[in-house]
Amino acid sequence: MATKYLARALLASCALTALVGSVAAQEFDYGSFPGYTLQVKLIGGTQYEKLYTRIPEWEALTGAKVEIVSSKNHFDLDREIKQDIATGQITWCLGSNHTSFAPQYGDLYIDLTSMIPGEELAKYVPGTLASAMVDGRLVQLPRVTDVSNLYYRKDLYEDPAKMEAYKAEFGTDLAPPKTFDELKQQIIFFADPPNLYGTAFAGKDEGMSGRFMEILRANGGDLFDENWNPIFNSPEGVAALQWFKDIYDAGAVPAGTVNYTWDDIGQAMAAGQLAVDLDWPGFAGFYSDPAASKISDVLGFAVSPVGSAGVRGGWSGSHSFSVTEACDNKEAAVSLAVFLTNDESAMMEAQAGNLPTRSATFGEVVQYFNENGKTALAEMFPIWEASLADARTPPLIPQWIEVSNVLWPQLQAAIVGEKTPQEALDQAADDARVILEDAGIL
Amino acid sequence: MATDVQVLQRPTLSEGITAFFRSPRAVPYLLLMPAMIVILAVVLVPLLVSFWTSFTSYNLTRPDTLYNFVGLRNYQRLLGNDEFWWAFGRTFLFVTITLNVEMMLGLGLALLVNKITYGQRALRTIMMFPMMFSPILVGFQFKYIFNDSIGLVNNALFDLGLITQPIPWLVDGTLANFSIMFAEVWMSTSIFAILLLAGLMALPKEPIEAAKVDGCNPWQVFRHITLPFLMPFVYIAMTIRSLDVARAYDMIRIMTNGGPAGRTELIWTLMTRTGYQNSQMGAANAMGYVSIILSIVFTFYFYRKLTAARTFMGGAQ
Repeated sequence: MATKYLARALLASCALTALVGSVAAQEFDYGSFPGYTLQVKLIGGTQYEKLYTRIPEWEALTGAKVEIVSSKNHFDLDREIKQDIATGQITWCLGSNHTSFAPQYGDLYIDLTSMIPGEELAKYVPGTLASAMVDGRLVQLPRVTDVSNLYYRKDLYEDPAKMEAYKAEFGTDLAPPKTFDELKQQIIFFADPPNLYGTAFAGKDEGMSGRFMEILRANGGDLFDENWNPIFNSPEGVAALQWFKDIYDAGAVPAGTVNYTWDDIGQAMAAGQLAVDLDWPGFAGFYSDPAASKISDVLGFAVSPVGSAGVRGGWSGSHSFSVTEACDNKEAAVSLAVFLTNDESAMMEAQAGNLPTRSATFGEVVQYFNENGKTALAEMFPIWEASLADARTPPLIPQWIEVSNVLWPQLQAAIVGEKTPQEALDQAADDARVILEDAGIL
Repeated sequence: MATDVQVLQRPTLSEGITAFFRSPRAVPYLLLMPAMIVILAVVLVPLLVSFWTSFTSYNLTRPDTLYNFVGLRNYQRLLGNDEFWWAFGRTFLFVTITLNVEMMLGLGLALLVNKITYGQRALRTIMMFPMMFSPILVGFQFKYIFNDSIGLVNNALFDLGLITQPIPWLVDGTLANFSIMFAEVWMSTSIFAILLLAGLMALPKEPIEAAKVDGCNPWQVFRHITLPFLMPFVYIAMTIRSLDVARAYDMIRIMTNGGPAGRTELIWTLMTRTGYQNSQMGAANAMGYVSIILSIVFTFYFYRKLTAARTFMGGAQ
């Protein structure tokens, strides 16, 4: 399955590369749409909305107006878009999207390769652009990428007493972990509840399913075989689930972690309650901000550990913009989508600590961080960029969220001890099979 | 003679309808018609459509599946779905416990506030504060209060030296259900208090004074005069609230989202996940129609009690 995804990503990358030919530094023509009002539905939230301050620039450039008809968190926006599809009320042109959500929407969005010149598409990170495709169609233009790596507290790793104790207990030097087994060992070693926990993990919703998928893949397993049969109840899957159960049973994570989502983990890490945190790049800005974080001066970064198969799980996804098929002025919508993901926009997002989707921005933003005394972020970016090589999205099928929703409650059941990992995964695999059979995939 | 036969001929249907609507007998129906049209449009039609979808494989993102009739498949699956029946039973328990606790506390609050002679209006306003919060805000508030590592409750217990290890309020099955019930009770007790206070304020003074003159003590006055008079208000409040407890969805979504491992799963969290996140609106609507049984049971029970209480009041008077 891993080979299949890799092959698909490579093929898509090659197709895009062939399409674009040589990279030319040509400016995109944003067009002119005087008097036109473009209706958009955008993801809301502090970390996403700074980019929208660029919308007046696009309005001045093209003469069009932008009307934000909806601004919600992504789960509510997803719900609203599904209702729009159900009622046939697609009266808007541009919408926020995500690689995990995009496969659900069928033919709601256009294939952007027919609207954006190849030389413009060549400016995006090829792997990121490849993962934005659904059934060979580029249905979204990525704005920021997520791939998880390790944040850790340097003060703990450099504490002589802890270094000595760790060496005495495990016979190795205390250093950021290279494998998930080593990470588990260190999580349990550092835990001193209730003041300090080894880590915390997103214990519900797609966060739980995704983190499990990441370790499963790192162990050499996968969610489905090449014919979409669920195979996550394999020995690799049991080992991945056991990993969560072990740190939970050891009391090395807060008991409430099974109800945590990203914000809860972020708050705990910033409060200095966690030793390590496997998390998204968007938290780097928050953790390194002395006004908001207690660990800003001791923040360390390390690439995500490998599993028993010696590979990284590389759970990845991108926030993006899509243009609807029903749009009455697709040129204007595409123009705004490109504008909000161009080099200037990517730089604005990267300066806030997000991983950009334009290749040129990586070097530029590191230079910016160094020049502006943000050394922690300058240190973090090359690590996260390197890990993009192993990045893989969840299965790009419409049923992913549905499968995730039968998976995470079973993962929880095993973690809190209601079922054995094998029983829980067998149940989830049976439920996932029904979903895929109903969808006609199996 | 031939002419007489023509006069007696029965009018056609359209002539009959026209004649009816021109007659004074039509006036009530004509006056009610706008309301009936609105009710048909906003209640009956959606009800029928959702009932139809419960027999289809309707998927929100694939509108064409609205016509994919699957018979009783959704209902058959529900019958064999342990997760659904656990949620059903838990919902029944949740509604029963929270309604009774809210009623008891609401009654106590109403009786206390009714005794106050100075500042009662201000107190009544303060009492309504929890009702003014959005259930989502209440969810976030109690998620923080019951958080096992940074929550107020655990921190207070640590500081008082009562615990040495954090209590997993939102994880343990019993404690998690207690926590969401606590949040629901906090948010909605004042609704009972306000409704019962209205009942107390409408209470005639004469029977109470007569009872006191006859030598009844305060408990006897409460038990035999005040409470029977209040019972219709109690049952009306219970009926409204039993249908309204569904508001707890937002709060539970934030606090636990039905987890962990389905320990706090109620019908509403399960239905929403099935219908909106999984897009399986047909299956979700089947759940909705089965869960209507719950609402019917509570409503039927409380209306019977209400009728009995009113009959008793009539007898008492």
